[in-house]
Amino acid sequence: MNGLDVAGQVLVVLGALVFVTAALGVVRFPDAYTRISAVGTAGGAGIVLVVVGALLLQPGVSATIKVAVIVVLQLATSSIGTMAVARSAYLAGTPLRQTRYDDLDTEGAPR
Amino acid sequence: MTGIDLGLALLVLACLASTYRMIVGPTEADRVVAADLLLFGMVGIIALVGVKASSAATFDIVLVASMTAFLGALSLARTLTRGNR
Repeated sequence: MNGLDVAGQVLVVLGALVFVTAALGVVRFPDAYTRISAVGTAGGAGIVLVVVGALLLQPGVSATIKVAVIVVLQLATSSIGTMAVARSAYLAGTPLRQTRYDDLDTEGAPR
Repeated sequence: MTGIDLGLALLVLACLASTYRMIVGPTEADRVVAADLLLFGMVGIIALVGVKASSAATFDIVLVASMTAFLGALSLARTLTRGNR
């Protein structure tokens, strides 16, 4: 076991801990909007940490190129998917936990 | 390879927690959120199982799986609004 192996295992465990934190948020947070914010973090940071850790455990030139593509695409698309889900949750009328300030409600806002 | 096993166990724990949220609900949006986290967790599990089996195709499969997870999230978002944009 060399230094690359150790670094890879540390990164894999860190990424899995990010996932566990997001799962804790999904279970414990009060409404759908706070839950989707927890999932967005895991989709970006967690996948990147796990995949880079996997690369350090199984190094190679072509694997490095693939991991670079995965990291760029994952960082770009996970936030887009998260925003799309949150937007359609609002459009579908999912209730907010605390509705005193609803900046998206442009019709009934007393402003 | 103890780090990989620990990471796999934590990822399975996260997937089980999001499955619990998917079953309990209470709203449809909560189920979509849980499905999103489950997709990401499965991508991580695929990466770790591929490294554990020292497969040559690990990162190809992870690339395809992460893009499919993105398409799945967009499809679920569209389903939530019943096809309206």
